[in-house]
Amino acid sequence: MGLGLLASRALRSTRAFSPLNPRNVRTIVSTPELQKPEAAAAVAQPEADLPKRTPVAGARVHLPNPEDAIEVFVDGYPVKIPKGMTVLQACELAGVDIPRFCYHNRLSIAGNCRMCLVEVEKSPKPVASCAMPALPGMKIKTDTPLAKKAREGVMEFLLMNHPLDCPICDQGGECDLQDQSMAFGSDRGRFTEMKRSVVDKNLGPLVKTVMTRCIQCTRCVRFATEVAGVQDLGMLGRGSGEEIGTYVEKLMTSELSGNVIDICPVGALTSKPFAFKARNWELKGTETIDVTDAVGSNIRIDSRGPEVMRILPRLNEDINEEWISDKTRFCYDGLKRQRLNDPMIRGADGRFKAVSWRDALAVVAEAMHQVKPEEIVGVAGKLSDAESMMSLKDFLNRMGSNNVWCEGNGVHTNADLRSSYLLNSSISGLENADVFLLVGTQPRVEAAMVNARIQKAVRATHAKVGYVGPASEFNYDHQHLGTGPETLKEIAEGRHPFCSALKNAKNPAIIVGAGIFERNDKDAVFSVVEAIAKQGNVIRPDWNGFNVLLLNAAQAASLDLGLVPESDNSIESAKVVYLMGADDVNLETLPNDAFVVYQGHHGDRGVYRANVILPAAAFSEKEGTYENTEGCAQQTLPAVPTVGDARDDWKIIRALSEVAGARLPYDTLGAIRSRMRIVAPNLLHMDEREPATFSASLKPECNEKMSTSPFGTAVENFYMTDAITRASKIMAQCSALLSKQ
Amino acid sequence: MAAVVKGVLKSVRERGVLGFFRELRDEGYLNCLADGNLLQTKIHNIGATVVGVDKFGNKYYEKLGDTQYGRHRWVEYASKGRYNASQVPAEWHGWLHFITDRTGDELRLLRPNKYGLDHKENFSGEGDEYIYHSKGHSLNPGQRDWTRYQPWQPTKT
Repeated sequence: MGLGLLASRALRSTRAFSPLNPRNVRTIVSTPELQKPEAAAAVAQPEADLPKRTPVAGARVHLPNPEDAIEVFVDGYPVKIPKGMTVLQACELAGVDIPRFCYHNRLSIAGNCRMCLVEVEKSPKPVASCAMPALPGMKIKTDTPLAKKAREGVMEFLLMNHPLDCPICDQGGECDLQDQSMAFGSDRGRFTEMKRSVVDKNLGPLVKTVMTRCIQCTRCVRFATEVAGVQDLGMLGRGSGEEIGTYVEKLMTSELSGNVIDICPVGALTSKPFAFKARNWELKGTETIDVTDAVGSNIRIDSRGPEVMRILPRLNEDINEEWISDKTRFCYDGLKRQRLNDPMIRGADGRFKAVSWRDALAVVAEAMHQVKPEEIVGVAGKLSDAESMMSLKDFLNRMGSNNVWCEGNGVHTNADLRSSYLLNSSISGLENADVFLLVGTQPRVEAAMVNARIQKAVRATHAKVGYVGPASEFNYDHQHLGTGPETLKEIAEGRHPFCSALKNAKNPAIIVGAGIFERNDKDAVFSVVEAIAKQGNVIRPDWNGFNVLLLNAAQAASLDLGLVPESDNSIESAKVVYLMGADDVNLETLPNDAFVVYQGHHGDRGVYRANVILPAAAFSEKEGTYENTEGCAQQTLPAVPTVGDARDDWKIIRALSEVAGARLPYDTLGAIRSRMRIVAPNLLHMDEREPATFSASLKPECNEKMSTSPFGTAVENFYMTDAITRASKIMAQCSALLSKQ
Repeated sequence: MAAVVKGVLKSVRERGVLGFFRELRDEGYLNCLADGNLLQTKIHNIGATVVGVDKFGNKYYEKLGDTQYGRHRWVEYASKGRYNASQVPAEWHGWLHFITDRTGDELRLLRPNKYGLDHKENFSGEGDEYIYHSKGHSLNPGQRDWTRYQPWQPTKT
């Protein structure tokens, strides 16, 4: 034994037995406080030496009016909470994490798992803290023997009918039941009977069910009804015969169905495409954003080596809360199929041949030099990041052409006023709206997360929804006002019954779909919508309810960067077309002798007309800035390496500019961003919504007439909208099984 | 010594000078100049009896009497340049290493016809085919394909 240790022992023993500390004095009387009143006082005031506790997961509380606040004591800590909070929330604020299965703070309270039992003073039994409202002066005890015994008992009951198949369970390692049975369960079981078993349900190609593992927390049922807005799931039976199911054999048809996988505390609902593919501790998480729609949901890409294994949502209250759509979650297998991995040139026989980068770039540069500058056309794809669009525009401008745009934006789209192409009320702001007017947009398929917000508003405040457009599915109550511009005109002229709802609304919101950008009479449609907005007092200093719901991740950034073509029929007169991931641009009117360069990551529609293919990186492989539909710039981060010989988009254009003799002045991502700072400084304010400064009222008057053709559907198939999702097998299955014919 | 000279003269007489030198080369006497092992074997061979020759041409010698016990059986490999112990087939192995007194020719008859395999020498280090490559090595024929994506194939049209 070392000297130091000896010394410390000696010190400790002297401290322990020193008569200075009254609590360590051993008396033979059972009530020492009667003997020494000062000792009793020291015991009665424990707050003084309690260590400071921090709220669980950074929980914060907002007290609207401080006189409504009540004070409760959690394990002796006083904590101030607003009236109406539950005991569990009070404990969270006090820094005590209460075990729970059925409670979820975005869903209604069920109180049926009984895991959150705590002891409350003067209550005869332990109370379920998730369902119990906190009362003033309540003394909550979370680590008393009674509470611990109650939890242990509940855990024993839960494990009674739970199979012990953790080694083959996909939830293993991230299972709430596993973790909490380690923390709160007993170290031995007393159960010797047979376990019950439940027949698995078929919920479709995305959610795998192992219903024997279900602990009947009903989170999935509540999620389906409250957030997804479908009444698919329900609880059947009573007692030990209780089951979650669809009652009749039926697939779950929500576009948010994947979230039940995250929400399930056990392995009853797991991801079908991910089943038995990896363990969660093998995966590397990369916090990035999603580009399959214009919402820009915050996601975490879990990868193992060079492979994306799964995609999970990340919490962002302003954009996607903690949900993501099925397309976002399950598109990842598209990243592994149909990839372009070598530069290719189409030979004289019409076949592609893999060549080196040097040859491919030389061919492209030569083709560009052989035509007149204005005959060069550049089209950015829907998945392009802002950096590559910036370099594409700069490059083509240096070559002498200004015919560059982003697909989906149509011609002559107004890029001058940001308010005319952004979701001005912000996605989370839509919750405050009480009347919605949807013009030519089906948010359920165009932006599922925005639709979830509208659904939330409809559910919480009974907001009215009016819809103008082709017949479509909604998962909330709505009025179908009409199919085309004439209905809009009626509303604008005040002849339509929906006008009164719009006028009486406190926060009316008009959402115009970006599908209208492709119409020839879009200026007229927008001016009519603006007239409606003016009548309904939609744009006020404190509320801007005029919204445009974009379709693609690249759209907002491309309009911010000014990717607007100079001439109307640039495709018809083009000699060299540079497609930067553009697959949905209409090339039928392109002259046959035109030279097409396709730079992208998937062998999709664009490559079939291409003369040269330049392989680029997908969103999971590059760092790029994307602006979502509400004007919030966010960044993707590389999760996996690029495939084959592929390169980042901006690097390809930078290299090409050098070969073509119009060298771009930036060599790094930082340098491109400082160029972007000149054009659109808002793209550099990461994770920050930059609202539009000027309102649409500054727009010049439009004298066009609206055509009478009804609005079309912008997204035909929710599951397959871009090159990645079209390459995905899972998405193909989904669209075959789930989308309505 | 006289026997050696007599033998040389005899074969010169039989085959001529050219033939004699060809035989010298084939029998490995030229290799003896550089290879002391072979020279030692050749010297040892003088006066020894050839017990047998296996099908590869390895000659098995025995010399009893004036040889040290334990060094009285040896082999002269058929290949004079690259010889190694694995060229001795299994049936001769026992005789050569004093495990048995039966010669390889006798033991060969005991070999089961149905499943007995022909002897093969150890080819380790004799070219890529016989070098072990780990499963990640590009020369391993059963190498796993670690490509985790499926490249786009240009259609034939």
